Amino acid sequence: MRCGRLSLLCLLLLVAGPAHGADGKPAGTLRGVFTADPPTLDPAQATDTTSSAVIRQIFDTLVELDDRLQPGPALAERWTVSPDQRVYTFVLRAGVKFQNGRPMRAADVKFSFERAARGKRPWVFEKISGAPAFIKGQAGAIAGIRVVDERTVELKLDAPFAPFLFLMAYDAASIVPREETERLGLAFATRPVGSGAFRLKEWRRDDRVVLEAFPEHFRGAPGLERVVFRIIPAEITRFNDFKAGNLDVSDIPTGHCRAVKADPSLKGQVAIWPTLGTHAIRFNVEQPPFNDRRMRLAVAHAIDPTGIVDGLLEGCVIAGKGILPPSLPGYNPKVTAPRFNRERARQLLAEAGHPGGRGLPPITYHFNTGDLNQRIAELLQAQLREVGLTLELRRLDWAAHIKVVDEGAVTMFRQGWIADYPDPENFVTVLFHSRNVGAAGNTSRYRNPELDRLLDQADAMPAGPARTKIYQDAEQRLLDDGLWITLYHYASRALIRSTVKGLERSPLSTAPEFLAPLRKVKIE
Amino acid sequence: MSELIEPAARRVLALVPVLIGVSLLVFALTAVGLGDPARAMLGQRADPELVQQIRRDYALDQPVHVRYATWMGRLVRGDLGTSYHQQRPVAEVIAERLPATVHLALAATAVAVVVGLAAGVVAALRPGRLLDHALMTAAVLGISTPVFWLGMMLSLLFAVWLDWLPVSGYGDGAWANLVLPALTLGAIHTGTIARMTRSSLLEVVRQEYIQAARAKGLAEWRVVAKHALRNALIPVVTVIGIGLADLLVGAPLTETVFAWPGLGRMLVAAVGQRDLPVVMGAVLIFAVIYVLANLLVDLAYLVIDPRIGRAR
Repeated sequence: MRCGRLSLLCLLLLVAGPAHGADGKPAGTLRGVFTADPPTLDPAQATDTTSSAVIRQIFDTLVELDDRLQPGPALAERWTVSPDQRVYTFVLRAGVKFQNGRPMRAADVKFSFERAARGKRPWVFEKISGAPAFIKGQAGAIAGIRVVDERTVELKLDAPFAPFLFLMAYDAASIVPREETERLGLAFATRPVGSGAFRLKEWRRDDRVVLEAFPEHFRGAPGLERVVFRIIPAEITRFNDFKAGNLDVSDIPTGHCRAVKADPSLKGQVAIWPTLGTHAIRFNVEQPPFNDRRMRLAVAHAIDPTGIVDGLLEGCVIAGKGILPPSLPGYNPKVTAPRFNRERARQLLAEAGHPGGRGLPPITYHFNTGDLNQRIAELLQAQLREVGLTLELRRLDWAAHIKVVDEGAVTMFRQGWIADYPDPENFVTVLFHSRNVGAAGNTSRYRNPELDRLLDQADAMPAGPARTKIYQDAEQRLLDDGLWITLYHYASRALIRSTVKGLERSPLSTAPEFLAPLRKVKIE
Repeated sequence: MSELIEPAARRVLALVPVLIGVSLLVFALTAVGLGDPARAMLGQRADPELVQQIRRDYALDQPVHVRYATWMGRLVRGDLGTSYHQQRPVAEVIAERLPATVHLALAATAVAVVVGLAAGVVAALRPGRLLDHALMTAAVLGISTPVFWLGMMLSLLFAVWLDWLPVSGYGDGAWANLVLPALTLGAIHTGTIARMTRSSLLEVVRQEYIQAARAKGLAEWRVVAKHALRNALIPVVTVIGIGLADLLVGAPLTETVFAWPGLGRMLVAAVGQRDLPVVMGAVLIFAVIYVLANLLVDLAYLVIDPRIGRAR
């Protein structure tokens, strides 16, 4: 009888086989999770990380970044850059098929870029010659995109832009089949057709997104047969679902980092890695009292970020000084920022004409809703009280917060920034160039023609130490001016089941919405 | 039958001014509320020109009264508009959440009615005894326990530790997925129904006709079931009806804890995204649900006690 049971077990194991097919066919299901439903799966319309996480699996881009953030071939098998760094010529792979069976051609690149340029992220394409006029509706096509032949497309820039290849790896630059976008119209956002390693199988709103392998992907079939993204808004529910074995990947709930790391049942399943993002405090420099540099520096010296990093976040983020996160190419380990020093803060307040905070009305600190943001704000309030500054907390939901911040109706506010692509330009220029004042990124409303000139110069330089040096100098200047107080740099805190192999932990990935290419993942 | 048709028609007619009032109120609130739908659509790094273009495309640059008139014009033609965020018809967005919401609301109501009525009747039959106190304490706990906390505790116990039920998700409507959300959501209404049933039944059993029924030698269960409960049910039906309406318009906290894809989560997300067409559409549907629930309560009165209809 015992022998019979064993035989049955063996038979079952043989029938079930290994988690991924021995014949190389996709096998197994990855069970991931999102915190919210993706609003759209159309690359031209997405603006959020959840949508991007799915779009990256369904669509391909010309170039893709590896886990070291180096651009490598994707739909483009190779490319050349002209000596003046203004013309990029991409040669497309032969035999790439869209999920509707139609081969991809160079004309699809032109169509996709022009379609997306008039979508929600036009800035991805604005460096291409003629794109600004096209985006504004003043031209019928982007002059700088030329289809050379069936497999070659040439992109001409107005000026050199070193991170341009990163833009070509961005999900907004995904290649879409024209006929499907025209046939489906707005419904393309819910029935996307790309050339990616996975295609959309099912999307049950607020419940789950299911992808299935696209066996005809140009790199061959992916390792997984299916990917199921559950939509679970409560972080503690996601954690319980992971513990119950219902998820393969999830995030670590706020305040549970230390406990999770010490939990023997989760041993080998906790992953923490730096991501390209910074949680900071900014000031509106157009309004008193923070139009005075001494006031900004006084606040910077009065804040002790260790209470946040080690206390609230249990050391599971990265302590920081500068604007650029440590894992960003171009990071300057020697950057200096005002240190926690209450005496210096009091001295600066006195120099600004407000000894002990006298004569100053309460300062309003704006932040967006979230328990962590609330707790950080309360800690800041207590720390600033020590030097005589009264902080009034103003908590708004995200939509209201960005509106008042964009319009400059704030004095001191929270800013989180996660890189779109791994280049210092995406921090320093976007966040501080005067042409970006307001919604485009410069919410400090800082205007400095000298800094603008330097940043314009760096933006147009080829990648290299000279360019990096300009951004680092600019960063130091901004910190010396007290324009940015880094509280910490982000880290992804994830639970990854030990059976999941090949999941890249790119600094551009954020838990639980991984942007990593899931085609490389296998379940063992 | 005519006794049923007239109040039903009156209620349906009353729906029109209610909907106009509700829509005006919500439109006014969205107009004075902070946040710009166009800006909210574009994420953190937004092109200011694109923000303005979207405002023009969605007529957000028009005065509020013009926008309201346009929206009303569409509504009269049966069009709830298009979601800003999802770029799909609002009716479709709401319709796909309805099955999960109805499923959960009916299950939670069933839990509340069965358990609440039973507890209320048992407590009323043993007034002042230990069982009465125990049941009423449980009822008060059910009413006062925060839904979020109760949901988490039930989930930990039955899903994580005992592994009897799923932690979360709709599971295509499988009953196992429904149990914990229904118990959590039903707890408040169970308590309310139990307390209402008890007090109402205690009042009725003191009436002379109940004493007469007992004097005729009828068994106690028959006295309660056939004579007392029927009359005690009228206020209870009101509570059940309004409770059902409450549940049908979604339960954001329960839906969040159990990742249930219902109307409550949808509305909360739409408010956060300033997706005004979805907010307006959802609020209108909710108003209709409330009015219809009231209508059903009125009709239930007539069925329970036909004298109410004759008195009208």
